[in-house]
Amino acid sequence: MNCAKCKELLVAYVEGLLDESQTQAVAEHLKNCPSCQAEMSELGRLRDRLVGNGKVLARSNLEDEVMNRIIREQKSRLKKSSEVNRQYSVWRLIMRSRITKLAAAAAIVVVALVGIHQLGGPLAGGTVTFADVIEPILNARTVVLDFIVGSEETGTVMQDLIAGSKIRRTFSNMETILIIDIDNAKMLTLDPVGKSAVYMDIQGPLQEGTKSYLGLVRDIVSEIVDNPNIPVQGLGEREIDGQRAVGFLLSEPKIKLTIWADAETATPIRIEMLMGQTRTIIKNIEFDVPVDESLVSMNVPAGYTLDEQEQDWSEFNEEDFLVVLQVWAKYVLGGKFPDSISLEDLMNLASQLTNMAPRTEDEVHQLGMSDEEQARLGMAMGRGFVFFQQLEPSGADWHYVGKGVEFGDANTAVFLYRQKGSDTYRVIYGDLHVEDSAPEDLPK
Amino acid sequence: MSETDKYYVERCLDGHPDDFRHLVKRYQAVLLAHLAGKLGNRSSAEEVAQEAFVRAYFKMDRLKKPQLFFSWLFGIAERVAKEQLRREKIRQQRESIRSFTEEAQRPELSQDYALEKAIATLPEAYRKVILLRYYGADSCSRIAERLNMPLGTVTKTLSRAYAMLRESLQQQQQTNIYEVQK
Repeated sequence: MNCAKCKELLVAYVEGLLDESQTQAVAEHLKNCPSCQAEMSELGRLRDRLVGNGKVLARSNLEDEVMNRIIREQKSRLKKSSEVNRQYSVWRLIMRSRITKLAAAAAIVVVALVGIHQLGGPLAGGTVTFADVIEPILNARTVVLDFIVGSEETGTVMQDLIAGSKIRRTFSNMETILIIDIDNAKMLTLDPVGKSAVYMDIQGPLQEGTKSYLGLVRDIVSEIVDNPNIPVQGLGEREIDGQRAVGFLLSEPKIKLTIWADAETATPIRIEMLMGQTRTIIKNIEFDVPVDESLVSMNVPAGYTLDEQEQDWSEFNEEDFLVVLQVWAKYVLGGKFPDSISLEDLMNLASQLTNMAPRTEDEVHQLGMSDEEQARLGMAMGRGFVFFQQLEPSGADWHYVGKGVEFGDANTAVFLYRQKGSDTYRVIYGDLHVEDSAPEDLPK
Repeated sequence: MSETDKYYVERCLDGHPDDFRHLVKRYQAVLLAHLAGKLGNRSSAEEVAQEAFVRAYFKMDRLKKPQLFFSWLFGIAERVAKEQLRREKIRQQRESIRSFTEEAQRPELSQDYALEKAIATLPEAYRKVILLRYYGADSCSRIAERLNMPLGTVTKTLSRAYAMLRESLQQQQQTNIYEVQK
């Protein structure tokens, strides 16, 4: 055996893995080769060192600590999941009442329409082509359109069918159907899943503002037409949904309205509006489509149960808004205020809430909240939505600063607003107490 | 202790969490040896090893081949160690008071930090074999089974690993001498 072969077999030799004849051959070679002997003892030292260190580490005892940590972690996971379950069930409980579900859906919609009376002030500038563009908006008897609040990617899409002063509205992310009678300040809300219906009185501030979005556009447009000095800015041509379109921008201090129309037929294709912090988009517009009258009928459809109590949406206040904040932060988000509050966020929240399935009677009783209490809470929430959404159109100044704030934190402000004409701000804190504050004393 | 990894993994998933203890016992020294060399600090190594075991426990239902528990655990430990190193780096940047060499030669590290460090620098295939042989006290045939490789490959890998260890230890020694002379 030569040295190369010996060195190659050395490890197997030491490990006792060689057969008898190989073992003997290696042993023989080692006896007479000082170089391989040196190699062998070098290997032996390294192995001793490894074995020694291995023994030290083998004495360590991680088992108890690891097992304790596993038990602790297990417990905290269980606790967390039961907390989430509990919060989830309270939330579901609140939304169990069908009135509540209908109210939540209705509220966001009504207010999305508020704001027409806001518009005013002289307008200046004008073009002839623009008159062509607005002609169908002013004269169409029926219109079908998609109405998006917020961004096109994440906002709720409302599909509207407008016939005269009536609107039938459905949603991309919830089953609720609304039929709004603007002239009579009434709204019929239908839940096709639970087959329930409720009438809502939308007199008062809501009635004033409740017109179709298209009505708003009409108002703006007619004002522009009546006024020879219209501030219309041409935006040139652009391709929209595969169509060649001409754009017009109307700027007013509080409202920016952009209308894109087909470059050949002058039919509006897309209308974008930015009012305060709220962006809305109208697209897929069709004018004068035949409409089945029954779709906008204010009668309760066959098979639906009508709730005997008519809901009153004529009043809402800050208290109601506090209920929204409470439900949102405490129950929906598990103790943290949302990152932002916008009309889009509220619509998404409402759809989450309305999509909750009712729980069994037993579970409801365990949580100990009566039907009346549930309904009261739900209705307050609905009105709270209204309260928030009328802030912008009513000319109030508001700011949401609750991102990352824990529910219950009495020292950190989450929301502040000043009603039009008021000298002071109302400041809502993380524990939902409210303080009046002069503009110069506002929390940072 | 003599049952297979697969057996213990299945027991744990079957509602006997305490059997996880056997797996901890089996692999703690292996992980510690590897981590101590990598992290340069015995207490960090213990912390990371514990965390790796805990994570492994809670992810066990996602382990597709229970017989390969060791390699899987090793991968988890590597990830935890990386996180730890990142934190450690940030901490060191914040308080760059002690130099790295002082850090590395603190007496509580372990018996033979130079050796652990040399092991940590081995390529993974070699490192695993060394770790299992000396810190897991596995025989060569057991290692062949665990790592799913022929016995001959295990001895060849060991042989090559010894050579690399020796070289690395020698280099460390020379660096130390050089530093002392400086």
